[in-house]
This record gives sequence, C-alpha cells and structure tokens, in this order.
Amino acid sequence: MAKSVSQGRGGNTWIVIPAYNEEQTIAGVVADVRRNGHHVVVVDDGSADATADAAFRARATVVRHPFNLGQGAALQTGITFALSQGADFIVTFDADGQHRADEIATLLDALAFHGADFALGSRFLGRTTNIPTSRRLLLWAATWFTSATTGLELTDAHNGFRAMTRRGASHIRLRQNRMAHASEILDQIASSRLSYVEVPVTIEYSSYSLGKGQRSSAAIDILLDLCTRRLYQ
Amino acid sequence: MIAQLILTALLSGVVLYAWHEHRRSPVVGALSLIIATTAIYLVWAPSHASDLAEWAGVGRGVDLIVYIWVVISLLVLLNLHLKLRVQLEQITVLARQIAIANAVNAAPLPGKAERVSPPPAAIRKG
Repeated sequence: MAKSVSQGRGGNTWIVIPAYNEEQTIAGVVADVRRNGHHVVVVDDGSADATADAAFRARATVVRHPFNLGQGAALQTGITFALSQGADFIVTFDADGQHRADEIATLLDALAFHGADFALGSRFLGRTTNIPTSRRLLLWAATWFTSATTGLELTDAHNGFRAMTRRGASHIRLRQNRMAHASEILDQIASSRLSYVEVPVTIEYSSYSLGKGQRSSAAIDILLDLCTRRLYQ
Repeated sequence: MIAQLILTALLSGVVLYAWHEHRRSPVVGALSLIIATTAIYLVWAPSHASDLAEWAGVGRGVDLIVYIWVVISLLVLLNLHLKLRVQLEQITVLARQIAIANAVNAAPLPGKAERVSPPPAAIRKG
C-alpha cells in the first residue's frame, strides 16, 4: 500500500500561493493551509495593497516581486523558491479563497498512490459552486484546446490547484508570465513525458473570486500568447 | 531607374536585417528574407510584377510592390514585439532572483522577520 504523503511521511511539502492585491483574503487562506502543517510561500506579485504584510502576519514566507509580472511568473518564482528550500512536494494554490485547504491532502496522496509526478485538480471531476455558465463554457473550450494541442486527456485544463513532486517541478520552466502558464505547464508535462493524474477537487466561486478572475476575453490573450511564444526561441 | 535603385537599397537593407534576425526569430526572419528577395526581383522585372499582380488580382505591379512593402513593415513590427517579449523574460528572471534573494521567512513571533536566501546554485536561470 502506498504511503500517505499528507500524513507527514512523505517529506518536505511547500504550498505556493501567488497573490496580487489579495489583502482581503490572503491571511485566511494562509491560516487554513498552515493548519495542515505545510510550509507556505506567498509570492506577492507587486501588489499595491498590503497583501505581503497580511501574508507575513499570517506566518507565511513572503517573496515579493518588485513589480507586477503576472500569475505565471509568480508561480515560477514560488516553485523555484520551494525547490531551493529542499521541497519534496509542491502544491500550487489560489489566493482568492476558492480552493479548499483540506483537499491538499487528497492531491498529495494521489501523487503517492499513483506514483505520478503531477496531481492535477479537476473541478469537473469534483464539485463547483456558483460557477457561471459563461465560465463553464470558457473552461470547456480551454480544455478542448489544450487536449488537442498537448494530447493529454484532461477534464479541466485551467485549474490552479495542483501538486507535483520535486522531479516534476524541476522540469517546469514557465516562460508565460500571465494566464497562458496553465496551458504551458500541461505542454511541458506532455513534452517531457512526466506522469500525471487528475484528482477531483472543489472550487468554491464567490463574488470576490469571480470579480478577481479572468474575463472571457482573456481567452484571446491566452491564445495570442501561446501562438506568439512559438515564434521565437 | 532612380526609384528602382532606392527600392533595391532599402530592400537590401531588409534582407540584411532578416538575415541578422534569422537566429532569434526564425519564422519572422525567413518570411522577411523571402518577401524582400522576391520584392527585389520584382523591382527589376516590372513586367513580371504586373503579371503577378494581375494574377493575384491586385491590379498594377507597382501596387503589388507597395503591398509587399507594407507586409515587410508589419513583419518588422512583429519582430520588434518579439524582441520586447524576450526582454520581458530577461527582466522576469532578474526580478525573480531579486525577489528570492530578499525572501522573508515566516516569523516565529509577530514582527520578527528572518531573511531566507537560497543557495545561488539553486536559482534557476531563464
């Protein structure tokens, strides 16, 4: 029987939380995550508010970008930092409160149980609350596009809740600073033939997280970013 | 004749530029090279330009040359955009190293910060 990573026998786990102007929610999110005994690094992506302060007071390690670079850049910074601290497992987690900290254990256990490099959260295998129809359609289109371009069989391509082993994280090199990083991660998983498993997770949309989330027009930006990236080395 | 010489000089400049950019942006470099070389040929073979223009439905050969020039300008613009993206990536790497070097560890007690600097070798380049 596979050992349970979440029960502390699986090594040094770091939770990476990219945050931009999240002073309202970051302290609560960090407190929830820390309750499980994991290390937390909040990457403050050049926030104009007191996000870094709030995260620090909630006892997270804080890495601050000198200016706003984008969520993809913040994730890569967090992953690089966690690796430098000797992380055996890394979990990426949203700062707006739409992920559930108690499901971190589910993702970590899935890594151990399946011997995978990545455990990718899927809201469509799990549960979503208050998801608008337009968002559901957008996510469906993104998943279809990503499956077609990477060959990965997925049900949810743009879920920020994912866990990875040290080996998996070492292969990730995000160059898409903004929202196209979600597709870029999957592209790199596919091209480096890393193993992955999808895990049901819950996404709880609130008016706050929906207000902070992507607009539908962001899909065009993501497509342009992905296409442009192929034009240079 | 004067116009032909001026256009040839300008297009030769584009050919050199395309050759120079070829390694950084293979797609843009190759397209610019092909289009500029074709344009030089058409400048010196205007009857072929007219034939080609008629075939393409443009009308006059000179219009075709102008359109080709517009396309080259757009490609150069695209190349500038790509260069800006490369620079942004370099800035991101720099900002990341600064951010990680100045990481503040979770305080054991409120208000007591501890700097955590990773070993330099652990910072990923690029």
